[in-house]
Amino acid sequence: MTVLLEAHQLSRYFGGLKAVNNVSFQVNDGEIFGLIGPNGAGKTTLFNLMTGLTPVSGGTLHYRGERLTGLPPYRIAGMGIGRTFQNIRLFKGLSALENVKVSQHVTTKSGLWGGVFCTPASRAEEKRVDEKAWELLHLIGLADRATELAANFSYGDQRRLEIGRALALEPQVLLLDEPAAGMNAAEKRGLTAFVREIRKEFKLTILLIEHHVPLVMNLCDRIAVLNFGELIAVGNPADVQKDPAVIEAYLGAE
Amino acid sequence: MNDFLQNNGFLIVTMVQQALLAMSLYYPLMCGQLSLASPGFYALGGYVAAIIGTIEYFAPWRDSLGWVIFPLEWLAAGIISGILALLVGIPALRLRGIYLALATIAFVEILRVICLNLTITGGAIGIFGVPQLFESRWSYIWTFGPLLILMLLFSYRLDCSRVGRAFKAIREDELAADAMGINPTRYKVLAFVIGAMLAGVVGAMSAPFLNTWNARQGTFDASIAYLAYVLIGGSRSMWGPLLGGALLAALPEILRPLKDSRLIINGLVLVFASIYMPQGIAGALGKLRDNVGRSFGFFRGGK
Amino acid sequence: MTTAQFLQNLLNGISIGSVYAIFALGYTLVFSILGIINFAHGAIFTLGAYFTYTLAVGQFGINGLLSGLNLDLQVPFALSLLIGAVLAGLVGVLLERLAFKPLRTRGADSLLALVSSLGVALVIVNAIQYLVGAEIYTFPSQVYGDIKPAIMFEISGQPVVVRTVQVIIFAVCMVILALLGYVISFTRIGKALQAVAENQTTASLLGISVDRIILVTFFMSGFLGGLAGTLVGTSFGIAGPYFGVTYGLKGLAVIVLGGLGSIPGAVLGGIVIGLAEAFVPPDYSAYKEAVAFAFLFIVLLVRPQGLLGRSLIQKV
Repeated sequence: MTVLLEAHQLSRYFGGLKAVNNVSFQVNDGEIFGLIGPNGAGKTTLFNLMTGLTPVSGGTLHYRGERLTGLPPYRIAGMGIGRTFQNIRLFKGLSALENVKVSQHVTTKSGLWGGVFCTPASRAEEKRVDEKAWELLHLIGLADRATELAANFSYGDQRRLEIGRALALEPQVLLLDEPAAGMNAAEKRGLTAFVREIRKEFKLTILLIEHHVPLVMNLCDRIAVLNFGELIAVGNPADVQKDPAVIEAYLGAE
Repeated sequence: MNDFLQNNGFLIVTMVQQALLAMSLYYPLMCGQLSLASPGFYALGGYVAAIIGTIEYFAPWRDSLGWVIFPLEWLAAGIISGILALLVGIPALRLRGIYLALATIAFVEILRVICLNLTITGGAIGIFGVPQLFESRWSYIWTFGPLLILMLLFSYRLDCSRVGRAFKAIREDELAADAMGINPTRYKVLAFVIGAMLAGVVGAMSAPFLNTWNARQGTFDASIAYLAYVLIGGSRSMWGPLLGGALLAALPEILRPLKDSRLIINGLVLVFASIYMPQGIAGALGKLRDNVGRSFGFFRGGK
Repeated sequence: MTTAQFLQNLLNGISIGSVYAIFALGYTLVFSILGIINFAHGAIFTLGAYFTYTLAVGQFGINGLLSGLNLDLQVPFALSLLIGAVLAGLVGVLLERLAFKPLRTRGADSLLALVSSLGVALVIVNAIQYLVGAEIYTFPSQVYGDIKPAIMFEISGQPVVVRTVQVIIFAVCMVILALLGYVISFTRIGKALQAVAENQTTASLLGISVDRIILVTFFMSGFLGGLAGTLVGTSFGIAGPYFGVTYGLKGLAVIVLGGLGSIPGAVLGGIVIGLAEAFVPPDYSAYKEAVAFAFLFIVLLVRPQGLLGRSLIQKV
């Protein structure tokens, strides 16, 4: 098993607040890696550090041996790391189809002139983009509503569309920030199956932030637990569940 | 018909010209960037054409090239505007919203004061006797008209291309676009440069059309007028700036029977249009089309 | 530069800078409450000057609907100044009701507020032109009473000449600033205003009528704008209906320099720009008009939050 992502003493301070403090972990190729912890533990901040949206205060992050820290978000996305957002950040004024087309940006290359003059290369590329977009919409089950604005979708559909949009990047790593938030029990079960399916189909490595503990325990190969910005446990679900530090963090937080 | 064109030629050409200037604001707005720099580039382009057309240094060129000098003026104006836009845009486009708007207003004003004081731009008086490309005002439709058609085609193709999608993604959510692999600075600067080049070329076409060029061509009033064109026309499709620019440019003429009070009415139109047509004329027409379509049962899909 | 010249520039700069400050405060107040820039503020500045002129002098020229009219109201100047500013404030209130409130209630794009306020500016400016023409109106030199036109004194053997008008303008501005500071910091209405600027929802939960505070803000904004217009008018004359445009733009430079929405920032920004303009060497005086905008541009690129503004941290 090869190590795909390696965080080394990652830190982020906001003034005096240590949102993420000296966090080190490794993610292996092909695994589903869960990130859990009480509210405000620094999970989303960690995702933002990994995708370059928030600059690190210290530490490094490597992906396949290449350094990610210090790179702008679009470069990190271009290296094959896609993500979704906790508070859903779709392009709300664009259609579902356009949303899925937009993030094929990194896998395509036609420029202003190619696009405007409709050169054969750009036309062929546009055709591929279109096909791929429809494929993804079918996969996430929104193909029959392709031309509707993203803003008009239900909460659950928006979350699925966000995953579809991230998949359009053709990522090797997918970061899902609370993908089950706001979903009912049936939808959550569907999501579990869906995440397994896309991992298999796209050979993905998935990092997942989730509050719903049964879902995490069921889905993840390994779990990391954050509390007050610090990593307090990493391991397989069964072990983590028994870890006294984890139990204390959760009970203490109640 | 011929009489009509001769009498109203100036107005019609002005409508097309203003529609083009409105479009120059539309490209940055496509990426959600409110830039009011167009009048600056418009003035710059006009000066480029006026200077090439009048000063002694270019006399041999003018004599040997004949009318070909005009397209060369447009080209020169476009390139110079584009380069200046690149230099101004890279630092300025780190700003957002009203801050960017204010920075571009400052840019226009600085450029205006500089042009007001340089010898080559003719100081406060400006440049007179810019050589004409055509004899009648109306004939200038043959320069502005094709440019408008070209820009409409350009916008139409842009809208459904990879670059156009990147623009719109940045408009919708810059941060999410960044996380989806789109370099926001690159595309914002690109949109700014496209708008600037267009304004520069329109300026270069306008100097012969107006025969004279001075610092009053690029003022704050113009910045706001173009913004009004786009917002009142509708900023979410290319038809918006076209409609807004053409109609608002014609408004003072349409209101001419009202004589002295026409500019007051003009102001009221701006107020009421922004209140009652939030999506602009293009948006209102689109809604109308949808409603009519639906009531006849032609319209399928949607919500 | 000699000490005398330095002192003279300093006094000129502080005087005009203080007018910039009270004018720019009008922008700042509205911005701090609504987060928008009122592009009609320059027109209200102009209107204030014309209101005062009508009351104090009331003699119109040969153009416009009111041509040849001589009202001869003979209202004492100090009172005219006050009434003119109050009327400008009321126009500010009207402006808010006509151009801003309908957009706000609908939650419209804030860019549209720029256009609708500009529409109002067009209406005001052209209405002035329609009524009294585009000519220049000047206040008679004795509006401020029977005073010497200039104060002269010597510094190390060199004469310094200060126009009395500028000293008076400075004094009026200081009084207004002190009053405004008092109202905002110590009165109920001022505290309510601060609360609304901080957070409208919280303020309304605390029982503050946000709508009323917005009206008060527009009144104060218009009052300050109109007053500034009159003060500039007494110093340099009223140069036609468009004379507020330049000041309107410079005011924008002032508030950005100080930090959008910051009240001390607007005062500091006004003085800094006034001084910067006063110290432009005579050889380059043609570029004086660009100074404010050069400041604006550079400040935006280097320190977008302005001198005294809060830093703008974006939340992911």
